[in-house]
Amino acid sequence: MNPFYARRRRTSSIAMALCLGATIFGLAWLTLILFTLFWNGFAGLTVAMFTEMTPPPNAQGGGLLNAIVGSLILTVLGIGVGAPIGLLAGTYMAEYGRFSKITSVIRFINDILLSAPSIIIGLFVYGAVVVPMGGFSGLAGALALAVIALPVVVRTTEDMLLLVPTQLREAAVALGMPQSYMIRKITWRAARVGLVTGLLLAVARVSGETAPLLFTALSNQFWSVDLTKTMANLPVTINNFINNPDPNWKRLAWAGALLITLAVLSLNIVARSLSGGRNPK
Amino acid sequence: MNEMMRADALTHDSEGVKIAIRNLNFYYGSGKPSLKNINLSLLTNKVTAFIGPSGCGKSTLLRVLNRMYQLYPNQRAEGEVLLDGQNILGPGVDVNLLRARVGMVFQKPTPFPMTIFENIAFGIRLYEKLPKSEMDARVEEALRGAALWDEVKDKLDASGLSLSGGQQQRLCIARTVAIKPEVILFDEPCSALDPISTAKVEELMDEMSDRYTIAIVTHNMQQAARISDKTVFMYLGEMVEMDDTDKIFTSPAQKRTQDYITGRFG
Repeated sequence: MNPFYARRRRTSSIAMALCLGATIFGLAWLTLILFTLFWNGFAGLTVAMFTEMTPPPNAQGGGLLNAIVGSLILTVLGIGVGAPIGLLAGTYMAEYGRFSKITSVIRFINDILLSAPSIIIGLFVYGAVVVPMGGFSGLAGALALAVIALPVVVRTTEDMLLLVPTQLREAAVALGMPQSYMIRKITWRAARVGLVTGLLLAVARVSGETAPLLFTALSNQFWSVDLTKTMANLPVTINNFINNPDPNWKRLAWAGALLITLAVLSLNIVARSLSGGRNPK
Repeated sequence: MNEMMRADALTHDSEGVKIAIRNLNFYYGSGKPSLKNINLSLLTNKVTAFIGPSGCGKSTLLRVLNRMYQLYPNQRAEGEVLLDGQNILGPGVDVNLLRARVGMVFQKPTPFPMTIFENIAFGIRLYEKLPKSEMDARVEEALRGAALWDEVKDKLDASGLSLSGGQQQRLCIARTVAIKPEVILFDEPCSALDPISTAKVEELMDEMSDRYTIAIVTHNMQQAARISDKTVFMYLGEMVEMDDTDKIFTSPAQKRTQDYITGRFG
């Protein structure tokens, strides 16, 4: 065999082995985490978890109903506020402002926001909403989640719209279509799958956030859907319960963690299956 | 020599002129113009072909005629383009209405991500509100006009993207004629198609030429020779020569034209 080619093959197999090793290293931890979650949390996945309130310390039984409902409310509200703003901002950046300087500035700032530690966002909302309102509230929690969802949606919206071929826009405009109409009927439609994927990823991202809720929605041991009061939610409840020696609380914390993980996992799978296969070229 | 040609291109101005281009300069950003002092006329219900090497400004010229260039900042046209005597580059021109009158078919087929029926009906709905039966008739008329009806009449609800490339291009032509334009601009409409689809589209353009004023940019000189009445040869942003297609391909006045069509450069 040609010695150059032999060397190339050797280099290739070494590189391949390193890549494989890195993949296995990463996957191993993920498997370990999932395994631990299932091992500790599976026992807690009972009907009672979905029907009963969080128990007081040192009691028996109880569930996570108030925390589950609270998390759903906070997530829906947070996405409800963050996603439309993100969609419009991303649309501006990809369509109207594609060539303008302000778009690069917005993109830069958005990327900073995207990677900002979520506890900072919690502190920001604490200062901006909780202090003026005079107390922790579900509303503040939802706003904190909205601030976290916003940059995710902005980024994916812009990226997905930029994937829509320019020719498609020109073809629509060539029919005498006003730009706003073209965006709504053609580019959004062409990028629909990607836009929905971005939305689901944002939901997955915010539904597990703990830090921003510690300073905003706090938590609540009882049933409450009043947005002006503290609101129970899964991440903070897990955080509180797991740090307590009470075995009943520990059991519920593990079950709650498993529940969030499964929810996020299924959202990701839905997002994947939506974007697979029918992605615009 | 330039002066003579300009005079020749303008002699038709009195009647039968659909679009008259006067002293047109075009700029991509600052710097040298990409189109230099273009003067020519497109005759009503005739096919005018634009030929020339890549980058000579043919497509740029086409994109001035429906102001497509305006989508991009920094692109700028100077001069006059008279559509039925009205300067479309002037202020106060509604570009959407202009584009409804001056349709365009692109190099790559660009069906919209919706059904075949909707691909056609969509453009019609921009300007007309029709009852279902009339809309059905209009869609059929447009698809027949693009010689596509027989191939798609049983699957109007299928996605426009499910068609073959040649069918997609005819769908785009149908979509363009559905809104009843007066002028149709073809920007290398066959360069992405196989020879059979190309033949169909050419045949179609030939049929369409008695109802529409057609301008076509093509790299295929046989195509220009086959379908056009007039041919414009462009080079480096200038119009070198415009004449009857027969004349251009048999005895061009300019040496550069002859060199290009005989394949000696370009």
